[in-house]
Amino acid sequence: MIKINNLNFGYSKGKLLFKNMSMQLSAGHIYGLLGKNGAGKSSLLKNLAGLVYAQSGTMDVMGYDPAKRQPALLQQICFIPEEFYLPSVKIDAFVKANAAFYPDFDHAYFTALLAEFDIPVTQKLINMSYGQKKKVIIAFGLATQAKLVIMDEPTNGLDIPSKAQFRKIMASVLTEDRCIIISTHQVRDLDNLIDTVIMLDESSIALKASVEEITNKLCFKRVKELDETVIYSEPSLAGFNAVLQNYHQEDSKLDIELLFNAVLAEKNKLKPIFN
Amino acid sequence: MEFRDNKAIYLQIAEYVCEHILLEKWKVDEKVPSVRELAVELEVNPNTVMRTYDLLQNRNIINNKRGVGFFVSDEALANVKSYRKTQFMDEELPVVFRNVYLLNIGFDELETRYNSFVKETFNP
Amino acid sequence: MNNTFSIHRFSLLLKRQWLEFGKIYLITLAVVLGVIITFYGFATWSTIAENYPFSERLLHFREPLFLIFGFLFITVIASSYFAHLGQKPKAIIDLMIPASTFEKFLTGILFTAVLSTISFLVIFYLTDLAFVSKLRSMYHSTSPVSAEESTHAVDSIRYFFSKNNPGEFKSIFVLTPFFVTSLFLLGSIYFNRFHYIKTAISLMIFSGIWTFIIVKAGQALFEGRISVNHGNGNMDDRKFWVELAVFSLMLLLTAIVWSITYVRLKEKEV
Repeated sequence: MIKINNLNFGYSKGKLLFKNMSMQLSAGHIYGLLGKNGAGKSSLLKNLAGLVYAQSGTMDVMGYDPAKRQPALLQQICFIPEEFYLPSVKIDAFVKANAAFYPDFDHAYFTALLAEFDIPVTQKLINMSYGQKKKVIIAFGLATQAKLVIMDEPTNGLDIPSKAQFRKIMASVLTEDRCIIISTHQVRDLDNLIDTVIMLDESSIALKASVEEITNKLCFKRVKELDETVIYSEPSLAGFNAVLQNYHQEDSKLDIELLFNAVLAEKNKLKPIFN
Repeated sequence: MEFRDNKAIYLQIAEYVCEHILLEKWKVDEKVPSVRELAVELEVNPNTVMRTYDLLQNRNIINNKRGVGFFVSDEALANVKSYRKTQFMDEELPVVFRNVYLLNIGFDELETRYNSFVKETFNP
Repeated sequence: MNNTFSIHRFSLLLKRQWLEFGKIYLITLAVVLGVIITFYGFATWSTIAENYPFSERLLHFREPLFLIFGFLFITVIASSYFAHLGQKPKAIIDLMIPASTFEKFLTGILFTAVLSTISFLVIFYLTDLAFVSKLRSMYHSTSPVSAEESTHAVDSIRYFFSKNNPGEFKSIFVLTPFFVTSLFLLGSIYFNRFHYIKTAISLMIFSGIWTFIIVKAGQALFEGRISVNHGNGNMDDRKFWVELAVFSLMLLLTAIVWSITYVRLKEKEV
């Protein structure tokens, strides 16, 4: 669905954020995009949506070049930015003005999503809190039935019940012809939703692997003592939370936070395991 | 559903399904929730549920009727029991044994405890 | 699917932009209408309400009012049309709307050059019509005018648009608002903040430099020379060529400014 080839991108000529980045993403997955602050998560998402232009390299999103901003592609992208703006009108006026651009827009589904999020349809957007507006824009974006769903920190600003609703909704919208990319710092909010982890570090992709592949190759568990099989560990109450190479075919639960720190700290040890 | 940290999610979902079958909330030859329904209910990725269903199909606990969905298979109860038994023997029993050994608990004491537990829990 | 232009998408975009931009537009229009009515009211109040005698001088405020507020209105509208693209959250929503850059650009032209000019002309016309009709119903005033053949009387309480009918250089009058708005529309996408003032200052500096160059060039070319009048040029003929030259120059400049605006919009990054 998405092919990125030798992408070079930076906001200034001298300092590149991505160097020769290549990656393929396919439909039917929820990708979790992780990275430190400033690693370029939002920039990668913007590149995919055609909101910024790369210095060189090619990008193919559903057969289109996103930089051309063609309506045929834009109809198929649901982009939920971290900071967004909604005009000060009522929800139905907003829908009336914007929904018609999306030929597959599903009004009934939009209403259902709002109901699930507890948003009254007649409320004016200006009187809403950040979290409520976020829910409206998410509901609208999903109701467009776009094939590519890009979300930048979607759970920011959502209260605790809304996060659960959000997870339920995301579980229900993943279909075989849809590709969902979510960037997040709050991995605990989403870790059971993500099926493939993409981690950005030092201007390239430090890791891109499915949860299944990661847990086949690595084992996440609590150990009492450290030995040479431990790749990375963090002290905890009862010993250490450790990442080990999975020699015994153990089925452990992926701890994304631990993996994240392991990738940052022990890139050289992890690289050969995943290549 | 609250997931534990020490076991892969897809296996925890398998336990969840097995639990429902053992307790006969989902009966033999009945349809089980679709991948999507269960994913929504548990707030997990549908691909993970699919992995669970693949596993349970291989163990002949559920089977896929093409175009209709997944059903609890005829031998499900027996298969769940044997599946759970292996799991218990391999994973949980060693932990119990370790404590039994460390705390010097005698088998007689365990037997009395076990009998009263069964009596209280299953035949009140 | 046509990815450059479709009438359907274009009409959807017009509707959408009206919802977004209409409020600013109508408020600005209401302010301008208020100003126009105030001027007419002040100027004619003593005559209409207190029966002071009518003097032709009363209506002399109309030309500056028309020019100054007309200019202000269309430039303010033009310089706010793309202004929100300077704010990332707003720009993202706009750029992600499934319409082509060309359609988004064309909508901008339609709102700023066409709609703003027409609506200003209409409100000015209507205000003028209301006040001048009132005056005409109360007074009859004529003033002598010397024409080439003879002196005759002309109605001095005339409607603004019948008095100031752009007889000559009509094409230039038509083109002027397009040219002016194109500059301010470019300013609205070029700058991220303070669009109006920055555009105005840039234009002043730019035209200052040009004037300087032309004056200096003129001095260098013609210093110490005498102009010789051949005296055989046809006045009408010359007017035609002047009009054509100015018209073509303005048309060219407008087209250039619009293309730059289009490219800026196409290459806008957030």
